[in-house]
Amino acid sequence: MAAAAGLSLVAGLIDLTERGQNTPELLVAGGLGGVLASVAASRIRRPARILFSDILCGTTVALLAMVAGVAGLYLLTGTVERLEDALFEAVSGCTTTALSVVDPNTLGRGLLFVRSGSQWLGGLGALVLAVVILPFRGDGGEFADRSGADGRKPLAPNHRTALRNVVAIYVPVCLILWVAYAAAGAGGFGSLLLSMATVSTGGFVGPGDPLATGAVRWVAIIGMAVAGTSVVVLWRLVAGRGRGLLRSRELRSYLFLLVVATALFTVWNGPGGVSEIREALFTVTSAVSTTGFASSPAGEWSAAAPVLLLLLVAIGPMSGSVGGGFQLLRLRLLLKAAIREMVRQLHPRVVARIRVGDRVASENTVRQATVVQFVFVSLLFVTALVVAAFGTELVTALSAAVHALATAGPVRTLDGLVLDPSDWSRSARLSLVPAMVAGRLYFYPAAIAAGTLGSHVGDLLQVRRRWRRWRTGTTK
Amino acid sequence: MASLADRDHEMTGMRSRWATTTGHLTGLALLFVSAGMGLGAAVELVEGPDGAGMLLASILTGGLGLLLWRMTRPGGLDHATVFTAVGGTWLIVSVVGALPYLLAGTFERPGVGFSVAFADALFESISGYTASGSTVFGLHNPIVEQGAGLLLYRQLTQWIGGMGIVVLVVTVLPSVRAAGLGLIDAEAPGSGVDRLAPRVADTARRFWLLYLALTLLVAVSLLAAGMSLFDAICHALSTASTGGFSTQDASLGHWDSVVIEIVVMLGLVIAAANFTLHARSLPARRPVHYRDPEFRGYLAVLSVGTLLVTWMLVAEGYGFLASLRNAAFNVVSLGTSGGFGNATGGGGIGDYAAWPAGPQVFLLFLLIFGGCTGSTSGGVKIMRLRIGAAHAYRTLRLIRRPRAVLPVRIGNQVVADHLVERIAGFVVVYGMFLAGGTLVVSALGSDLPTALSGTFSALGNMGPALGDAGPTASYVDGFSTPARMVLAFLMLVGRLEIFPMILMLVVPYRVLQRHSSAVGLFRWRSRRSG
Repeated sequence: MAAAAGLSLVAGLIDLTERGQNTPELLVAGGLGGVLASVAASRIRRPARILFSDILCGTTVALLAMVAGVAGLYLLTGTVERLEDALFEAVSGCTTTALSVVDPNTLGRGLLFVRSGSQWLGGLGALVLAVVILPFRGDGGEFADRSGADGRKPLAPNHRTALRNVVAIYVPVCLILWVAYAAAGAGGFGSLLLSMATVSTGGFVGPGDPLATGAVRWVAIIGMAVAGTSVVVLWRLVAGRGRGLLRSRELRSYLFLLVVATALFTVWNGPGGVSEIREALFTVTSAVSTTGFASSPAGEWSAAAPVLLLLLVAIGPMSGSVGGGFQLLRLRLLLKAAIREMVRQLHPRVVARIRVGDRVASENTVRQATVVQFVFVSLLFVTALVVAAFGTELVTALSAAVHALATAGPVRTLDGLVLDPSDWSRSARLSLVPAMVAGRLYFYPAAIAAGTLGSHVGDLLQVRRRWRRWRTGTTK
Repeated sequence: MASLADRDHEMTGMRSRWATTTGHLTGLALLFVSAGMGLGAAVELVEGPDGAGMLLASILTGGLGLLLWRMTRPGGLDHATVFTAVGGTWLIVSVVGALPYLLAGTFERPGVGFSVAFADALFESISGYTASGSTVFGLHNPIVEQGAGLLLYRQLTQWIGGMGIVVLVVTVLPSVRAAGLGLIDAEAPGSGVDRLAPRVADTARRFWLLYLALTLLVAVSLLAAGMSLFDAICHALSTASTGGFSTQDASLGHWDSVVIEIVVMLGLVIAAANFTLHARSLPARRPVHYRDPEFRGYLAVLSVGTLLVTWMLVAEGYGFLASLRNAAFNVVSLGTSGGFGNATGGGGIGDYAAWPAGPQVFLLFLLIFGGCTGSTSGGVKIMRLRIGAAHAYRTLRLIRRPRAVLPVRIGNQVVADHLVERIAGFVVVYGMFLAGGTLVVSALGSDLPTALSGTFSALGNMGPALGDAGPTASYVDGFSTPARMVLAFLMLVGRLEIFPMILMLVVPYRVLQRHSSAVGLFRWRSRRSG
C-alpha cells in the first residue's frame, strides 16, 4: 500500500512537469494511501511466530493491495471508466505482463509513470520473492549464492543483505539503461519509461513508437537479456567474481536458447541482413525474457514462428531473474528428474541424485519443480478454456493463457500480428487476471496463499465443525 | 529314456540358435501379424481386387517370422533387453505391417512417387497397430473404394495392437514366461500389471479372452443396431481396441444412427476401463468398478466433459438434443482415445473442428487425458493425473505443515514414493515430447492448431485432431509427408508410453560401443574419459 502511495506521489510530481492535468488526484490519492499505510503499520502487530505459508500469504496480499491501489488510481483519474478495465490494467502492470487496454498516447506523464512504475515495483517484488524469500524457506535454496567461504562476497548470506544487494543491482541497472536509452535517442522521459519497463521485464512503453530506431532496439535487446539473467550472475560480475561465470550451466543454457532461437527465427522467416537479424534477436529476447516489447513482423512468418515464440515465453529466462515463465533451472531439474527415472527403469535400485552444475538438488526442490509444472499446465488449460468459452478464438485463447501465466506479452495472431486485448470481451480479460497473479508469484506461493486464505475463511465460518455436525446429525 | 533323449536333442538345437530375445519375440509376433494378413487376403480373394498382393504380403511376413522364430532363442532378460525386445518388436511389426498396402498398391496414385506411397503405407500401418486411428485415406483416396479384405486387415491391425502384440506373444511363448510380466509391463507401463492368475501366460490369456468377448459383444450389438455383418465385425474390432478406424469415409456419421453411436460409446467406455476390473467382476458376478478411484475419476471426466461441452454448444445456438448427442459422442470418442467421428459432413454439428473455441480447448484437454491404466486406451491415463494432482496437493500441504507425514493417497490406498517419482518423470517427458513434436510438426508446414492437436493426438493414440486434420478430414490435408512421419513416430512412442522407445536404444548402443571400441572407433571417447 505504501509502495502504491509513494508511486502516486512521485507520479503526481512528475505530472507537474507537463500539463499537470492529473496532479491533484495523484497527490491526494498518494497522501491518503500513505496515511492509511502508516495507520495500518502502526496498528498491526508483528506476530510472535511467522510461518513460511504466512510469508507467502502476506506476499500475495501485498501484491493484491498494490493492484487495488493502482486500479483505484486509474479509476480516480478517469484513465478507464470501468472497474474491470482498471483491474486488468493494474494487474497487468503489477505482474509485469504488458497486456494493456489503455492507449498510452492519451495519457499524461503522471499516469504514464504510474503504469511503468507499477511494473517496476512488480519486478522488484518478484525479484525479492525469488531471491530473498523462496530460497530461504522454499525451493532452490541450494542454488542460492550464500557461502562466504574463500573471502567471497555472497549475494544472499541472509535475508537483510540479500534484500540490500537485490536493490543495489536493480536500481543501478535501471539507471544505466535510462542513460543508454537517452544516449540512443529515446528522449529523457521516454528513456525513463523504457528503462523501467526493460529492467522489470514489464513491456509497457510510452506514447508514439519509442523503440523505432535501431540504436534503441539494440539497447533494448541488451537490457532485456540482462533482465532475464539471474541476479546471482549479475552479482558475481559486480562483486568481481566474474571469472569462470560461463561455466554456469544455466547461463550457458540461457545464452544457447537465445542464439538457437534467433537462428531458427531468422531461418524460418527468411534470412536477411543485419536489420532482420536484429529484429529476430529483439523478438526472441523479448519472448525469452518475458518482457513483451511488441515488434511487427517483417514479411511473412512461417507456421513455426508463433509456436517457437509461445514455447520461448513458456520456458522463460533464468531462475532468480525478474522474468516469468517456467524458468530454465526448473526445466533443467525436470529434465534431469526424467533422465533419472529412465535410469531407474534399467537399474531399479540405483541411488541417483540430481546434480545441476556443481550443486546437488534436494528432493524437496525437485518435488516442488514437478508441482510447479503440474500447476502451470493445469492453470494453462483452465485459463485457456475459460478465455475460449468467452468467445475468443482457439489460438488466441491458448496464446493469451500462456502469456498471462508467463507474465509476458504481447499476444499474436498466427501471422505474427500483435493483438489488442481491448478487442476481447471483458469476461475473457478478467479470466486472465488469476493466471497473471499466479504466474508473477511463481505459481506455488499463490496456491499456498489461496489455501491459507481458504482455511482462514473456513476457520472464520467454522465450516468444518458445521459440516461434521451436519453429517453427525444426518447419520444419527 | 526316449523323451529325455528328445529333450536333450531339443536343448542342443536350442543352444545352436542365435540368442536374441528381440528376434525371437519379433518372429512370433510376425507370425500373428501374418495370420491377420492371411485372413484379410482370404476375404480379398473372394470379395476384392487386391487378393494376390495381400497373400504375398502374408506369405512374406509369415516366412520372415518363421525364420526369425526358428533361428533364434530368447537371450538375456535384463531390463535393458526387455525394453529393446518390446520396442524392437513394435517397430518391426509396424514396418512389416505396411506390406499389404504396398503390395496391393493402395496408396499409389498419379503424381505420387514411391516414397510418398511408402510413407503413407507406413503411417497407416503404425496408426493401425498403435490403435491410433489417424488415417491418410480421404477424398483423394476414399476408404469405400478399397477392397473388403484390405479393410478387414486394417481393422485387425488395430485389434492386434489394441491389447498388445507382446501380451499376445506371451500367451504362447513358454521360454520367456519368467520375464513375461516385465515384458507386459514394458508394453503397457502404468502403475504395474496386476496378475489375474499365478502364471503370467494365464494372465495374458485371460486379458485376451476378455478382449475377444468384448469384441463379440460389440459386434452382435452393432449387428442388432442395423449394421451389416462385415461392418459390425470391423467396427467391433476397432471399438474394443479403442482404435477408431472405420469402413466408411464419414466414420459412424455414414449411418447417422443414435443407437449405433450409443453401442459404440458403451463399447469404448468398457474398453478404456481397466481390464483387471472386468476380470474381477466376473467371478464376483457383480461389477467391482465403482470401488476403483481411477474408474470413478474416468467416469467423472466423461460426464462432466459431456455436460460442459453440451452447455457450450447450446450457448452457441445449437439445439439441446443435438448438442447432447454430439457432445456425448465426441467426448467419449476422444476421452477413451477411440477417435470415431459422427459428423455427417464438414462444418456440421458433428464436426468438432468447426465447433467454437471453448469446446475445442476441452477436446484438446481430452486428447491428453486418455482412459484408465490396464485398458486399450492411450493418453497419459486418469490414474497418473490423479496421482499427479495428489502429489501436488501433498507438496503444497507440506509447505504449510513442514513436519507433517503426508503420504500420497488415491482412494484408501497409499501410493509409494518411487511410483510417484516415476509418474512425475513420465509426465515431464510426455510434456517435452508434446512441445518438441508441436514445434517440429509446425516447422514442417502445419499451422498451430493442427500441429498442436496432431501432436497431442499422435502421442495419445487418439486419432483425429483439430484444425485441418479434423474428424472429416484426412491427415494428408493437414500435414506434409515428413510431418506425418514425425507423427507416426510419436504414435509408436505414445503406444509404448515413451520410456521403452527411448530405452530400447540402450542395448544396441552398448553393442555398438563394444564392437566399435574393438576396432578403435570410440578411441577418442576413451582418451577423453582417460
